[in-house]
Amino acid sequence: MKILVDGAAAPLEAAAAEAARLLEQAKLPLIAGLAADIAGARAAIALAERLRGAYDHMYSEFLLRDLDVMRQSGQFVTTANEVRVRADCVVLIGAKLKTAWPDMLARLDLSNPARFDEAHAPRKIFWLGANPGDAEEAGAVKIAAPSSELPILLAALRASVAGRKTRPDAHIDGKLADLAVQLQAARFGVIVWSSESVGRLTIEMIQGLLLDLNKKTRFTGLPVGAAGNVTGVGQASGWMTGFPMRTGFGRGYPEHDTWRFEANRLVDSGEADVAMWISAYGNEAPRWKREVPYVAITTPETQFAYPPKVRIDVGTPGVDHDAVEYVQNLMTLAATDARSASDAPQVASVIRLIDEHLTKGEGAC
Amino acid sequence: MLIRLSGGRVIDPANGRDGIGDIWIRDDRIVEPAAGETPDMVYDVTGKIVMAGAIDIHSHIAGGNVNTARLLLPENHRAHVARPAATPLSTAGWSTFETGCRYAAMGYTTVIEPAVPPHLALHSHLELADIPIIDKGTLSVLGNDDFLLSLIRDGAGPAAIADYVGATLNASKGIGVKCINAGAAMAFKHNVRSFNLDDVVPAYNLSSRAIVEALQQAVMDLGIPHPLHLHTNNLGIGGNVETALATIAAARGKPLHLAHLQFYSYGKEGKRGFSSAAAELAEAVNANANVTVDVGQVMFRQTVTISMDVLRQFNAMGTASPKKSVIYDGDANGGGIVPFNYRSNNFYNAVQWASGLELFLLINDPMRVFFSTDHPNGAPYTTYPDLFALIMSREARASWLADLPQAAVEMTTLPSLTREYSFYDIAMMTRVAPSKLLGLRDRGHLSPGALADVAIYHDDPDRAAMFRFAHLVFKDGDLVIRDGRVTHYRFGRALKVSPTYDSAIDRRLSTYYDDVYGISPDLFKVPVEALGRENPFGEVACGR
Ligand SMILES: [Zn+2]
Repeated sequence: MKILVDGAAAPLEAAAAEAARLLEQAKLPLIAGLAADIAGARAAIALAERLRGAYDHMYSEFLLRDLDVMRQSGQFVTTANEVRVRADCVVLIGAKLKTAWPDMLARLDLSNPARFDEAHAPRKIFWLGANPGDAEEAGAVKIAAPSSELPILLAALRASVAGRKTRPDAHIDGKLADLAVQLQAARFGVIVWSSESVGRLTIEMIQGLLLDLNKKTRFTGLPVGAAGNVTGVGQASGWMTGFPMRTGFGRGYPEHDTWRFEANRLVDSGEADVAMWISAYGNEAPRWKREVPYVAITTPETQFAYPPKVRIDVGTPGVDHDAVEYVQNLMTLAATDARSASDAPQVASVIRLIDEHLTKGEGAC
Repeated sequence: MLIRLSGGRVIDPANGRDGIGDIWIRDDRIVEPAAGETPDMVYDVTGKIVMAGAIDIHSHIAGGNVNTARLLLPENHRAHVARPAATPLSTAGWSTFETGCRYAAMGYTTVIEPAVPPHLALHSHLELADIPIIDKGTLSVLGNDDFLLSLIRDGAGPAAIADYVGATLNASKGIGVKCINAGAAMAFKHNVRSFNLDDVVPAYNLSSRAIVEALQQAVMDLGIPHPLHLHTNNLGIGGNVETALATIAAARGKPLHLAHLQFYSYGKEGKRGFSSAAAELAEAVNANANVTVDVGQVMFRQTVTISMDVLRQFNAMGTASPKKSVIYDGDANGGGIVPFNYRSNNFYNAVQWASGLELFLLINDPMRVFFSTDHPNGAPYTTYPDLFALIMSREARASWLADLPQAAVEMTTLPSLTREYSFYDIAMMTRVAPSKLLGLRDRGHLSPGALADVAIYHDDPDRAAMFRFAHLVFKDGDLVIRDGRVTHYRFGRALKVSPTYDSAIDRRLSTYYDDVYGISPDLFKVPVEALGRENPFGEVACGR
């Protein structure tokens, strides 16, 4: 575990004091990365407020795809448990589902009939735009499509469910017409996607399709969250400020703007003059292009494009220390016990220490 | 620290008191006047109104569904006051921090979040831990979960059901049990679109009534002070007074709390088939001493409905304004978020508004009718001050009534009601009654030994102004509000019960979870250390 100030080893107190000094004299301090457990995220967001800075998460883009569709037109959503015990019809969408959720097939128990499905028949499983081999492993009927064509495919499917014909391609039309029949015959169907591998338009089409299907039967959605506890951090952000990430406190109260407070833009435009980069789940380094001075709170193996002013290594939540984080298997926040507890510092405690060295404002957490 | 609150009008119905006098506080408790001792602080509150801290028994202030609503509606909660925060995050619109500040500013010191799905309890408690100043509590929701429904269906008997309810409360750290449209969320998963008290859940052959009876009995058997808190069937539908009356009858004289009764007070009179049946319903409440209710008053403004009655919320999607809803099929209950704009020129909304006030005015016993807007379903809790003004003044009501559609007013008895709540009635309803209903013996009154939660108001003839910003508020004897402003943060506790039950049920649940979900029920635990606050919980005694 390294603690460095300007590349030289330093005591934790001194590093925290230097980080505080750096952040406090900034015009617009930015808290970025933000891949942390709930305690870390809470401390970071509170710090952003105290500094009148802004905060963003390295995977906000993915979370915001789902959120943007929701706040545009709403959402049907369920849990992994319900899919496991109830879904007689499962539509998997996109190429990287298994990367985003390695446990998926086992957790959803797709190879067995759903326990509470009254017919107790083998599940009907479809995979639109799967990676090679994935559909076979899942026992799914494969409907090939590159990611870019998913919205058109889903639009056609939606039209087919609504009894309209829109697509001249007879082969695909036939397959989609058949799928549309199967979806409408489902008792409790589910569509599974990951915002890491499908775009906003695809998600919009999925939600539109769910709305239509629920006119006659039951169908719902299972979004797979992205890495870095972005879903969990989004929840903490929601209750602390009312908004998800990409929120700023420059005027003393929170303002949310997905363009204005995007971390790389803030740095590259020169608006953010000091940054804090938090990456406790993996060795992610910042990707901004301008060399803004920054404080790094990261896992020990992280390699940086240019050195941080202050570097404080931390442990991984749920590995080095007990943590609360979003758990895809449960679709909620859960308390994870440390898998191999160590005395590595935690994001929350490091930020609290920095906070104690600030001279202005009051700490919330 | 010894504090003397000197010369205020002390309104303390638990002690039959309404008169000028002093209140003494030592540390976190109310004490007898300390003769011969010089207080460390004296507050001259001459001309002010002194009450115990208020207790809200039903307000959706935290949890997964509330947070989804925040994220769904960024346009609804720009900072409520666009000014820099005096205390951290206190101007973040609809944040947990703002919630604690604004409740405290109104003199509230304890608030119950009434809808916590046991599997999402950790999330709810994390949010509660970020609500400053006030104490909290949660109701754990049961009644649409396969384990319970199977126990009832298989005739497992009341003891097994009580054990399961006890284990669930223990794990989710709740203060009581809520049941929301019993069986309907499960039925909705089977594509059922309407669900009555005697409708049967497919695959279980169990009526809603049977589920309610079983839970009601379990709560009694466990000695939980708060009776079963019930959100019954057919919420919001014209003619649903029949359901409410049938539910009251179904309680068979046993303790039952009926939530947000206003939403069940509708008849089918008039050419729109929608009228207020509040008078009839109030009569039934008056006649059944075992029943308590909270009103769930509607106020005219934009809000959002957040309910675990997923079937009802699904059916309400067409009324969403703005046009976007979230429908969540959860592990058991799930929920729905439907934004809604109550408008004073809308016939239906005007009838709803009037029928809530009729309930306040026609239910005689302020110990059995509770003050709520079902925040945010009827209106946000921030409208409480206006609602206090309405029930305290027939003049205030008359001026509101004048602006409503005449056709709607004719569907209610409100114009004929002259009752006005006194401060004494208000203190009964918002202090004494909730402490009794929840089993919080050291709250809701100002007897020596009580927790020093004290609210002091200006006796402002503008009652809404008076209740919006208290003059002084003490939480645990600590001055937290001065003239409506938070002086500093402190973090309160979530109050919970720990009923006794046979722990054999925990082993049975482990086997069940493994078998059905392939996971351990421990994954849903709420460890104290996870909440990041010192002493995040407080204990409420059970007694058989
Ligand atoms: Zn409610």
